[in-house]
Amino acid sequence: MSHLIYTLARALTWLGALILAAISVLSVVSIVGRALTRFGLSPVPGDFELVEVGTALAVFCFLPWAHLKGGHAFVDILWGKYSLSMKRALTIAFDALMLLVWALLTWRLFHGMVDYRAAGEETFILHLPIWWAYAGCVALSTLGLVIYVWRLLESLGLAKPPAGFALASGGH
Amino acid sequence: MTHLQMAIWSLPILLVLIFLRMPIGLAMLLVGFTGSWLVYGDVAPLLNQMKSITYSQFSVHSLSIVPLFLLMGQFASLGGISQALFKAAEAFLGHRRGGVGMAAIGACAGFGSICGSSLATAATMGQVSLPELRRQGYNGGFAAGTLAAGGTLGILIPPSIVLVIYAMLAEQNIGKLFTAAMVPGILAALGYMVVIAIVARVRPDWVGRTMPKMPWGERLKALGAIWPVLTIFLIVIGGINFGIFTPTEGAAVGVVATGILAWLKGGLNKKLLLESFEITAAGTAMIFMIVLGAAAFNNFMALSQLPMELAAWVGDKGWSPFGVLFAIIVFYLIAGCFLDSLSMILLTIPIFFPMISALDFYGLGLEEKAIWFGILTLIVVEVGLITPPVGMNLFVIQSMAPGVPMKDIFRGVLPFVISDLIRTAVLVAFPAISLTLLRWIG
Repeated sequence: MSHLIYTLARALTWLGALILAAISVLSVVSIVGRALTRFGLSPVPGDFELVEVGTALAVFCFLPWAHLKGGHAFVDILWGKYSLSMKRALTIAFDALMLLVWALLTWRLFHGMVDYRAAGEETFILHLPIWWAYAGCVALSTLGLVIYVWRLLESLGLAKPPAGFALASGGH
Repeated sequence: MTHLQMAIWSLPILLVLIFLRMPIGLAMLLVGFTGSWLVYGDVAPLLNQMKSITYSQFSVHSLSIVPLFLLMGQFASLGGISQALFKAAEAFLGHRRGGVGMAAIGACAGFGSICGSSLATAATMGQVSLPELRRQGYNGGFAAGTLAAGGTLGILIPPSIVLVIYAMLAEQNIGKLFTAAMVPGILAALGYMVVIAIVARVRPDWVGRTMPKMPWGERLKALGAIWPVLTIFLIVIGGINFGIFTPTEGAAVGVVATGILAWLKGGLNKKLLLESFEITAAGTAMIFMIVLGAAAFNNFMALSQLPMELAAWVGDKGWSPFGVLFAIIVFYLIAGCFLDSLSMILLTIPIFFPMISALDFYGLGLEEKAIWFGILTLIVVEVGLITPPVGMNLFVIQSMAPGVPMKDIFRGVLPFVISDLIRTAVLVAFPAISLTLLRWIG
């Protein structure tokens, strides 16, 4: 099970990075098209809209990974002074709060999607329904939720990361 | 309790949570949401705001530069650029006392010329230079401090995300701001090298061994190996300056160019590529978590009217122009200890810029004053990246040096902070340093 969760989190980062690579190539194609309009080429219409949607999707792909590996920014200047039980309690509390906030935001994002769908709002250039972008983010956010739950189970001592993970993440 | 008092009280609460080691983004989210809820007096507007806060923050067009520059930095490091930069700088500086540390600064400056993100510069150059500094016997905290400070050259030397956002807020020309940032950026790099030279004499135990002096043939060979950096710098900066593409597009061009380079150099094997994706993911997520938290927190601040009250209070005092400028700089230095640079600029420039525009400094014209103030803002905001407790660069470097406690890194970066403060004072006293190049060129 832990292997599955970590593979999922990793696969999400790969997906997000591929999205970033794709919007980069798209931008370059668009620049070349714009530069060569006199030769009958043209920029990709709505390229900046796709860049925005792509960035949002990529960030949703990336957040669970950062949380799973404890990669969010924190200040540990006093951490060494706390007792072991206090450290454990704080870790559990913060992982639980993170899960709670993420669940709340996922739930609200879902309702955001429902609102946009009902309103039928579209992007300016491509006339893409905005709720499509939201739907993608809700899906990724929900997948992320599974990973946030797992992380809480780990800090509660009910689950363990796969062997070798700590080594692999500590290196860079 | 008035809304203003709530906002003031929320600051120590935020600090306590952060010092309990709560992730900073989470702490800002919780305090921001709770504060907004109290100000609204009802949960419904808050729940409504939450529907779009994640998507709208993650899809801000100018912020898409962040993951693109992080990915570009990863490709650049797979293309051997960071290694080549470090080797080239080391060939010239390595034989001096503290020379390997100076080389790390020089390499950061080189990397900063193709990278607009201080975090990406710290991350990329840290990967190459940090192990080398440790191997040469540098003190862990000082080595980490060197790289954290060197990383700020990523935004001090154009291209620079912070300047792009300032340009947008103050309605100034991005190309001119980039030109104006050149000399102060180079001064920053030289200043950091001077710091290392001084530390090498005052605290010889902090710096490690020196390298044998390289003959000029070797030096020129090492210099020749960094031509891709120069090419990419000219394409990206030239393209943005001449309006061929937007800064975000420039970042995309950089991703593709460094990607091709990495591919040509054979750095794109599956394992390294996936690893670079994971590092990009971690860096991007860390920044956007803070962006999200700052959005929630800033929303609460705006609702409480604290920023406006503060601006009005300062305006009423009738202080001298330099008194106001001094207050702004001190404010940025203090706020920079806790807030990230992007949200700090986004929150304050709309308040500070009109104040500065209305005051007289050395009889400068409006545009020159705006550009000069932009460069000053850039520098003081950048100091926030290396000051505790919330210095983002420190975290980036710490994640690469797991054995080094944060308090050692704080101590190691302190000399560089002093150098930043001196440079700020010099740039306030002599606007010509920022403006002369611009006057010559344009």
